[in-house]
Amino acid sequence: MAAQPKALPVETRNYLRGGGLIGWLTTVDHKRVALMYALSALVFMAIGGIEAMLIRIQLWSPDNHFLSASVYNQIFTMHGTTMIFLVVMPLEIGFFANFIMPLQIGARDVAFPRLNAMSFWLFLAGAIFLHLGWLWGGLPDAGWFGYANLTERYFSPGLNLDFWVVGLLILGISTIVSGLNFFVTIISMRAKGMSFMRMPMFVWSILITSVLILIAFPPLTVGLVFLLLDRFFGTHFYVAAYGATPILWQHLFWLFGHPEVYIMALPAFGMISEIVPVFSRKPLFGYPMMAYSIVLIAFLSYGVWGHHMFATGMGPVADSAFAITSMLIAIPTGIKIFSWLATIWGGSLRMTTAFYFALGFLLEFTIGGLSGIMHASAPIDLQQTDSYFVVAHFHYVLFGGVMFAILGAIYYWWPKITGRMLSEKLGKWQFWLTVVGFNGTFFPMHLLGMWGMPRRIYTYGAGLGWTHLNQLETVCAFILGISFLVMYINLIKSTASGEKAPADPWDGRSLEWSIASAPPAYNFARVPEVRGRDAYWVMKYGRAGSRGVAMFMAGQTPPVPESMQAAATGPIHMPAPSIYPLFVALGLMTMGVGLVIGEWRIIILGSITLLVSVVAMGFEYPTYGQEPHDLEELAPSSGGIDLRKAGLWAFLGSECVFFASLIATYVVYKSRNIGGPGAGILEIPLTSISTFALLMSSLAMVLALNAIQRNKKNLMRMWLGLTIGLGLVFLGIEAYEFTHFYHEGLSMQTDLFGQSFFTLVGFHGAHVTIGVLWLATVWFASFSKKFDKSRALSVEMAGLYWHFVDIVWVIIFTLVYLMQQVKGA
Amino acid sequence: MKRATGFIRAAMLAAAATLAGCAQGRELPMTTLAPKSDLAVWIYRLLIEVSLWDALVFAIVMVVFILAIFVFSTRVGEAAAPWSAASDLKLEVAWTLGPALILLMISIPTVRTIFRSQPNLPPNGSLEIEVVAHQWWWEFQYPGKDHIITANELHIPTGVPIRLSLKSADIIHSFWVPQLGGKRDVVPGQINELTFEATVPGMYPGQCAEFCGESHANMRFRVFVDSPRQFAEWEKAQSAAPIAAALIKDPAAAAGAQAFSNSPCTACHRIDGVSKGTIGPDLTHFGSRATMASGIESNTPAHVAQWIINPGHVKPGAQMPAFGLGGKQLDDLVAYLESLK
Repeated sequence: MAAQPKALPVETRNYLRGGGLIGWLTTVDHKRVALMYALSALVFMAIGGIEAMLIRIQLWSPDNHFLSASVYNQIFTMHGTTMIFLVVMPLEIGFFANFIMPLQIGARDVAFPRLNAMSFWLFLAGAIFLHLGWLWGGLPDAGWFGYANLTERYFSPGLNLDFWVVGLLILGISTIVSGLNFFVTIISMRAKGMSFMRMPMFVWSILITSVLILIAFPPLTVGLVFLLLDRFFGTHFYVAAYGATPILWQHLFWLFGHPEVYIMALPAFGMISEIVPVFSRKPLFGYPMMAYSIVLIAFLSYGVWGHHMFATGMGPVADSAFAITSMLIAIPTGIKIFSWLATIWGGSLRMTTAFYFALGFLLEFTIGGLSGIMHASAPIDLQQTDSYFVVAHFHYVLFGGVMFAILGAIYYWWPKITGRMLSEKLGKWQFWLTVVGFNGTFFPMHLLGMWGMPRRIYTYGAGLGWTHLNQLETVCAFILGISFLVMYINLIKSTASGEKAPADPWDGRSLEWSIASAPPAYNFARVPEVRGRDAYWVMKYGRAGSRGVAMFMAGQTPPVPESMQAAATGPIHMPAPSIYPLFVALGLMTMGVGLVIGEWRIIILGSITLLVSVVAMGFEYPTYGQEPHDLEELAPSSGGIDLRKAGLWAFLGSECVFFASLIATYVVYKSRNIGGPGAGILEIPLTSISTFALLMSSLAMVLALNAIQRNKKNLMRMWLGLTIGLGLVFLGIEAYEFTHFYHEGLSMQTDLFGQSFFTLVGFHGAHVTIGVLWLATVWFASFSKKFDKSRALSVEMAGLYWHFVDIVWVIIFTLVYLMQQVKGA
Repeated sequence: MKRATGFIRAAMLAAAATLAGCAQGRELPMTTLAPKSDLAVWIYRLLIEVSLWDALVFAIVMVVFILAIFVFSTRVGEAAAPWSAASDLKLEVAWTLGPALILLMISIPTVRTIFRSQPNLPPNGSLEIEVVAHQWWWEFQYPGKDHIITANELHIPTGVPIRLSLKSADIIHSFWVPQLGGKRDVVPGQINELTFEATVPGMYPGQCAEFCGESHANMRFRVFVDSPRQFAEWEKAQSAAPIAAALIKDPAAAAGAQAFSNSPCTACHRIDGVSKGTIGPDLTHFGSRATMASGIESNTPAHVAQWIINPGHVKPGAQMPAFGLGGKQLDDLVAYLESLK
């Protein structure tokens, strides 16, 4: 066994104990939230796995009738949707990042604990929502990619796709909130001494993943909103007969979809970068390059979406550009593979199950990466796309890569999370069953793809030479299924009667191993001070890693770091539990059900629940608008930015992409407009007045903030009142303009111009409305006695949002109103 | 040991046999590894080139992997770790520039093939054919050839560049004949082109490759690559008007012709000189086709009867309704359709 630090003399009542059912429903502890994510995801993993088995049974023989075409289409759609949104992402981001990342940076929770709980409940609501169609005739059946225009009401009249659209929107909100939360946590809550270049690589991967979430999900949201409008409100965003193109969906979807691949892959890279050094007893090789390559991969991933669309006829220039950018991703990925190998090289290896899975990852992921290079070569892709070759490729990436990393991470972090060890014997069994089952299922798919077998077919004809390999795959898929059964058994046995886990079972390198297993609710009795990369290793052994190895060789126990022995120096403030996150999710879900089944009373019920919960959540927060007071324990690189301000900035960054997607759609569709009034209907003089009002309101906002900072409440109220007034003037003019257009015969349903204009300007108007409501809340709150200079932040936050909305309007006014006069622009 | 080598040898032999099988494409009528057109050959060559680079990279990773785990490392509890560097500039530069060079080697032929395979204009003397994809069948029109219209069976000659214009009647589909080249999506509101020249006569199965709803798996078709002489004969037969109803000798077929022209069939199906429907496949020369129901079944009277009784049973979701025909009327109708050579 590895060397063990002595038990820590801190209070050991762990986070799992106490509170009862209500305690779990109202929890905001990142560890409990993470565990709830894990439990849900493990259930959905079983469901997605059973769906995979059904697919494999159906493909056993040609012309099989085990499943009907319609049921098969539902099953493969839900298999993909489930595994991506309900298994991989919640396990990586909801579970591991949520649980481990705050521990690794020495934090007591995430930046916004209640939002974290809300993310979970929204995730669960969205996940259940996706399956609700089952009660109304069927599950979604247009593929996880849901290509337009098959998804239009005309071609898919059932409610199942409505549940899919709204379910994905709910999941999208949940994910964006998580991304924002983790981004702010990592930026602002690192312990003293934890500079960026000392962060564990897993934290790096979560930081960049969060950024990717913030910028990749808005295009999906926009695409889904268009689809929702098409299905419910008679617009034609994807209908060719109106001059629109269904290809728009593919651009928006893959602008999300390819970064999504890295949203799943980067955390996996982070996990491998944690496991490999620990079990090689060596620091991660080439740390700076490992960090930069994550950043580079994320950056490139945003410019390669077109490689999913080579067959759509983008033309040779676009094909070549996307081929080359896609190939470039191989360079940082190669750096990672070789750096992991160099970490192992010369190491002192301990062959645990976690390490087995990490080693498995290296080979399986490499195969997936190499077949990816084939797809980057556009002409080859034309033969391989939509064939089983692609199915093989992305399963090597998402299973051989991501799932192997997740399994490794389960074996690595389970002792920390539950306080119990997993059986290594069952673990090794699982590993070998997984390797045989996985490769046996998916490697032959390369051949089947090259032999011409298309994906997403519920059956195939005899005489095409595909039968034997399909049967081999089915057999191996069942072996793979058994390997997961072994895992479930292992998890249950460990929970029930596993060996108690010490604080540091693997001789770990990062801070999570410095606290008890399972951790106490407050994580760290005293926030640690970080003195180097591999923070805990340095605490244990000092800076020179080799000294530690020498001590270890001599059979000595490394000293328990002094800082870890200290008891808490004062009371620890932990966030209070709240029931409202759960009710926010319930409200949104109820609204969704009402919308889909067309029952306005249910919509109203849901809206009221949602509104009341959000308002209640706001007034629950006792320090609203106050400056934080415990910054001294944080890293200087945190910059002393208030969490809430950092969160708002991150949110606005995400909003930029949202509006960019809407604006791009407007620009493209304006030029494709057929008939209808067109952009000539716009009145520049009138909107100039409203633009002027909005710009002046920004000035008033600046003066209001200035006033409260000088503690002049009355002056602040006056300027704030003026801001609100000018905002209302803007909204009034907009309402007049919209009504006027409607009477002139321009509505959402009229033409491409109408639908993209109303969507873009309407969404901006909704933002202005929210801004006015926010400012009004601050205005009313300012009559409270407690409201003084110390709460200036609440005015500053509302102002920040208000300025952003104004800037967006300046862009819209220029592009939509002014530029329409420029002919040929 | 001897047994192990024997096993490996057997496995290699099996692999070689499989590859040889692919190369012929006889047992694998939809393989991409036995290219039968210029386009398919270009793609195939590129695939081989990239595969060789991939194999090289994989071999390097594999060798380093094995050496790192089994040779140049120790196990916990053994002698001290032999190498504990945490970075090495030369190595890191090498594994950045090495892959970059390989990618350069791959990208050049890639870009060349992209431009070569997507000519802006149809090549000189090319045969232009319009392909219209429907949920779930294929329509082929020959605008330059007396307006021949056929369904699910495309005939083309060797030695002539083929230019397909792809259009969709409803949603996105994808045209794919693996042995003749890569896919091209069929997108509503846009016309995509596919240019290639078939080199070897034969029958090549194709299939829709973009998920298009319930019977996506049943949206199959066939391409008959004929010698120029065979193609000319086929063209002549297809251009001819079908025999007039009054001149049909077989009494069953004659009755069927009567039944057809008085039936709802005419609303959707065209038979030259008889009906003008355009929603379903053109039946003018239905009897000359080898398959029916978008290539799922061979064109026999029994299959045709089955189809007419309940189309949705043969092709789930098929838009043609079941008209409740039966008995003699059905037999007559089938006889008539099969007589349309």
